[in-house]
Amino acid sequence: MIRRSVFILPVLIVACSGRDPSPESLRYGLTLAPTGIDPHLNASVELGIPLSSVYDTLVYRDSETGEFVPGLASRWEVSADSLSYTFYLREDVRFHDGERFDAAAVRANIEYTLNPDHASQKAASMLGPLLEVEVLDPYAVALHLERPFAPLLDSLSQVYLGMASPQALATWGPGEYQFHQVGTGPFRFVEYVQDDHLTLQRNPDYGWAPEIYSSPTAQIETITFRFFEDVATRAPALETGAVDIIGELPASEVERLAALPGIGVQQVRVPGQPLQLLFNTELSPTADLRVRQALVLGVDRAAIVETVFGGYSPVASGPLAGDTFAISDQTAFPDYDPLAARELLEQAGWSGDPGSASLELRLVVPNWGSNPEVGQLVAAAWEQLGAAVTLEVAAGFGPLTQAQAEGDYHAIGMNSFGTDPDLLRPFFSSDGFFNWTGYRDPLLDQLLAEGMEASPSPERSATYSELAGLVREQWLILPIREYVNLVGVNSRVDGLRFSPQGWFPYLIDLQLRP
Amino acid sequence: MVPLLNRSSTSPVSSTTRRLLDGLLTAWAAVSLTFFALRLSAGDPVAALLSNGLTTSQQAEQLRHRLGYDLPLLQQYVHYLGRLARGDLGVSLYSGQPVTELIGSALPSTLRLAGSSLLIAFPLGAVLGGVAGWGSRPVLRRLAGTLASLATSLPVAATGVIGLLFMGRLGGADSLAPQPGLWLPATVLGWAAAGPFARAVQAGLQSTRRSPFILAARARGLRQNGRLLWHAVRPTLPAIASLLAVEVAFLFAGTVVIETVFSRPGLGRILVRSILQGDFPIAQALVGMSALFYLATQVVADSLARSADPRLRGPA
Amino acid sequence: MRLARLWLGIVVALALVAPLLTQNSPRDPVASALAPPGPGLPLGADALGRDFLARMLFGTRLSLGLASLAAVIAIGAGGAAGFAGALFGSTADRVWLWTTNVLLSIPSLLLAMLLIAAWGPGIPAVVAAVGVGGAPVFSRVTRAVVSQLVGAGYVAAAQAAGADRLWTSLRHVLPNALPQLAPLAGTQFGWAFLGITTLTFLGLAGDPAVPEWGAMLNAGRVALVSAPRLVLTPALAISLTILSVHALSRPSETDDSNR
Repeated sequence: MIRRSVFILPVLIVACSGRDPSPESLRYGLTLAPTGIDPHLNASVELGIPLSSVYDTLVYRDSETGEFVPGLASRWEVSADSLSYTFYLREDVRFHDGERFDAAAVRANIEYTLNPDHASQKAASMLGPLLEVEVLDPYAVALHLERPFAPLLDSLSQVYLGMASPQALATWGPGEYQFHQVGTGPFRFVEYVQDDHLTLQRNPDYGWAPEIYSSPTAQIETITFRFFEDVATRAPALETGAVDIIGELPASEVERLAALPGIGVQQVRVPGQPLQLLFNTELSPTADLRVRQALVLGVDRAAIVETVFGGYSPVASGPLAGDTFAISDQTAFPDYDPLAARELLEQAGWSGDPGSASLELRLVVPNWGSNPEVGQLVAAAWEQLGAAVTLEVAAGFGPLTQAQAEGDYHAIGMNSFGTDPDLLRPFFSSDGFFNWTGYRDPLLDQLLAEGMEASPSPERSATYSELAGLVREQWLILPIREYVNLVGVNSRVDGLRFSPQGWFPYLIDLQLRP
Repeated sequence: MVPLLNRSSTSPVSSTTRRLLDGLLTAWAAVSLTFFALRLSAGDPVAALLSNGLTTSQQAEQLRHRLGYDLPLLQQYVHYLGRLARGDLGVSLYSGQPVTELIGSALPSTLRLAGSSLLIAFPLGAVLGGVAGWGSRPVLRRLAGTLASLATSLPVAATGVIGLLFMGRLGGADSLAPQPGLWLPATVLGWAAAGPFARAVQAGLQSTRRSPFILAARARGLRQNGRLLWHAVRPTLPAIASLLAVEVAFLFAGTVVIETVFSRPGLGRILVRSILQGDFPIAQALVGMSALFYLATQVVADSLARSADPRLRGPA
Repeated sequence: MRLARLWLGIVVALALVAPLLTQNSPRDPVASALAPPGPGLPLGADALGRDFLARMLFGTRLSLGLASLAAVIAIGAGGAAGFAGALFGSTADRVWLWTTNVLLSIPSLLLAMLLIAAWGPGIPAVVAAVGVGGAPVFSRVTRAVVSQLVGAGYVAAAQAAGADRLWTSLRHVLPNALPQLAPLAGTQFGWAFLGITTLTFLGLAGDPAVPEWGAMLNAGRVALVSAPRLVLTPALAISLTILSVHALSRPSETDDSNR
C-alpha cells in the first residue's frame, strides 16, 4: 500500500501543481469550507460532496425508483416486529488501509457515531431509537431498535453513516480523524488542508460498486476540491477553467453561462427542508403567535424567490420541499398579504403609530446559500410593516450556533437536507438538537414519533401532513424556497449525476474527454 | 522610527544595538497589544466550541483547562509569550487546526503576490519618478507625474475590480480564456505600490536638480546625461530606502484587498474570515506577525538609509 | 484642481440633499433583480432589485459622513495626544513617544482590523477603528508642529508656574498651530475615506444591506459581467473622491520651474 502511494505521489504533485487541466485530474469547486468534515460528526452537506465517494454505505437508494439496493450489505432482513434489521455483508471489501470490512467494523462505526463524547450533529440522530448493534458472525450484523424506525435504511444509505476503518477511527480519534479519513469507496482520501483544498485519489482496488453506479471503478485519477466561499468567484472560476465543476452558481449568471460554448448548467433539485427562517417562540415579540403570522404574511415570498433565485427555485410552501414527501396543499403557507399582516400587528398591540413602542426584531442568517440576500429582503419587508430590524450575518456554522446559543434572535435561518421526512425531528421535537424555535408541544412529539415508526404508507404521509399543518398553525417558520442546486459543468466532463439527496455527485461515473 | 532610548546617553552601547533594543521593545509591546485587545473582548472562547456542538460541557471544561483559559489573564499572557517564543501560535477556535499550519499553507500564495508586486513596483516607480523629475519633455513629465499621483491615490479595491472587468472584456466573456493568474493582481498592486516610490524619486530629483552642485556641474558643461542623473539621485537614496518600510506597510493592506478582489488564497482571506468569525487566535497571530515583520523592515530600512547617507549616521 | 473642487462640491451637495432627490429607499426592492437603467430607474436596479441610484445617493451621505467622523476621531485623539506630548513635560512626551511607536509598528489597516476583531464587525467598529488607526500619525505631526512653535522656555516656564500657565501657553499655541495643521485635516479625511471604503469592501461592515460605496463595490462583484455598472459606479465615485481630496490637500508638485 505504502509503496504504491509513493508511485502515485509524483503524479499527484504534477497534477496538483499545474493549472493546466490534465486528462487525469479534475478540479471541483466547493462553496463553504465546513467547520469539520467528519461525516459521522458534522452536519454539513458540503463535506458529502467529496466524501460520498470515499465511503461506501450498507445500502444505497436508487434515485429513480426510490428503492434500496445492496451496497456493503449484499442482502438484509427485517424482523416481523420491525425492531431488528439483520445485514449480511459482502466479504470481499477492504478499507483503503488494507483492513477487512466486516461486522465488527459496522459496530465500531456506529459506536463511534453514537458516543456522546463525540457530539455527533447529524449521524447520531439519523439512527433514531437504536439500542444495540449485535455482531452475529464475521459478516452478519444485526441492528436492534427500541421502537420501529422507518428512516433507518434511508439513514444507512447516506455518507453520514458511511463505513470507516475502525483502526483509523481508533488511531486518530474525533477531531483528528477528519484529516486522515479511511473508507472503502472508489476514491481515497489523500489530504485536507482547511479552507484550501481537499484531494482524492482513485482507489485502484475498488471492486464492489453498487448497481446504482454506472461505472465499476473510478475513471479519473485525481480530484482536487477547492473552496469558493465568495459567490462572486464561482462563475469566473468556471469561465476561466479554474474548475471543471462547481455548484451553487448565482442565479443571475446562469443564463449567460449556459450560453457559453463549452459550459453547461444542470439544475438539481435538493429534497429536504426549504431555505427558511425559524421564529424564536421564547422571545417577545415573536413569542406572540399573531406577530409570527404577521411576519409571514408581510413577506412577499414569491417576489424574493424571483429576485434572488431567478426562475430556478420553486417557492416553498411548508416545512418540507415538495420532492421529499407529498404534502397536501391545505397546509401550504398563504401568499403575501400585507394588509392582513398589519391588522394582525395592530391586534397584537404593535400599532406602528409614532410615539408608541416600535417592533424591534433581530434576524440572524448564515452566510451560505444566499441566506444574506434573502435576509436583506425579508428585513426590508418587515421594515415596511413598521418594524426596526437588525440583520446579522453569521460567518459560518460555528458563529451561527453561537448566536443561537446566546438566544438573542427573533428569527434565525437554518435548514437540513435529506430524503426522509424524519429529518424534521431534530428541528421540531422537544429535545431536538436544532429546535431553535423553542416550541415544545407533546402533540408534535407524538406526530414525530408516529412518523418515525410507521413504514411508508398513506398513514405516514398523513402524519407528516398533520405535522406540517401544526407548524403552519403555529407559524413556526417562514419558508422561502425549495433548493435547486445550479451546477456549472465544463463540457470536457461527462457523466455528472447526483444521488437522491441532491447534493452528492457520483464521482465514480465522471469521465474526462481528452 | 524615532528611537525610544535617550539619544544623549553616554552609554557605550552602540547605536545599532540601541536601535535593535528599541525594535524588540516595540515588538513586544505590539504583540502584547494584540493579545490584550482580543482577549479582553473575546469572552470565553470555548463557548464557541460548545455551541458548535463540537464538545460536551465536560469536554469544554477539560479543553478550557488544557488551553489555559481558566487561568487569570496575566498568567495566560505569560504562557502566550512563552508559546510564541517556541513558535506555537495557538489553534483555530473552530477547527482546532494549529495556526502555524494555516498560515504556512497560505503564506506561499501571499508571498508570491507581494513579491511579484514589489518586482513591478520598484522599476515602475523608478521609471515614473525618473521621467517625472528628470524628463526632457514637459508633456512626458506631466504624464509620468499624473500616473504616479493616480497610483498613490486610487484605492486598490477600485483599480483591482476595474482591472478584472476589463480583462474579462478583453479576454472575451464568451471564450474560455486561460486563467489570468498572477500577472493582473500583481500589476494592479505593483502599480499602486509604485506610486509612493515614484513620488519620492520625482521629488528628490526635482529638488536636487536645482541644487547648487548640479547647477555648477551643468555650468561646467556636463550635459544632462546618466552621470549627472546618478549624482542627482544619490542624495535622495536615504529617503528612498526608508520608503521600503512604507512599501511593506502598504503591501500588507494591499495584499489583503487584492486577495479578496481576485479571490486568491492567502493570508488576507484567512485574516478577514477570522475576524468575521471571531476566531481570534488566527487574527492575533496574523496581526502580531505582521507587526514584527514591519518592525524588522523599519530597522533594515533605517540601516540602509544610514549607510547611504553619511550625514545621517550621527554618533557611531 | 478645479475639477477636484467641482467633484467634491457635487458630492457634498448630493450628500446633503439625497433624500430629496429620490422617492425610493435604498433598502427596499422596487424592481426585478439587475433591471437595466430605464424610466424611473436611471441607474437600474442592483442584484436585489433596489434602486441603484438611490443607493449611490445615500451612499454619498454614508461614505462622506463616516469618513468625516473617523477623521474627527483621528484628529481629536491624535491632536490631543500630540499636544499633551509637546506641552505636558518630558514624562508625558516619553509615554506619547512610546505609545505612538507601538501603534505605528502595526500597519494602519491591520491595526484597524485588529480593533474590529476586538469589537466585532459593524459600522461603529469600522469608524472607531479607522479613527484610532489614523490618530498616531496625526499626533506625531501635531507634536512636531507644537514643539516647534513652543520654545523650550515656554514649556519650562509653564511647568514651573503650574497648570495655570500651561493652559495659557496652550491658548497661545493653538492659534498658531491650527493654520499649519488645517491642511492635514484634508489628508486625514482622505485616509479615513480610503480606510472606511476598504474595510466595508472587505465585508467588515456587519450590515450587508448598507448603502455605502465600499460595500456596494463588493456586492456588485457577483454581476461583474452581467451588470458592470454596479461595480464601475462605486469604483469611480470612490476613486474620484479620493483623488480630489488628495489633489486639494497637497500643494501642487507638478509645476516645473524653468530650466
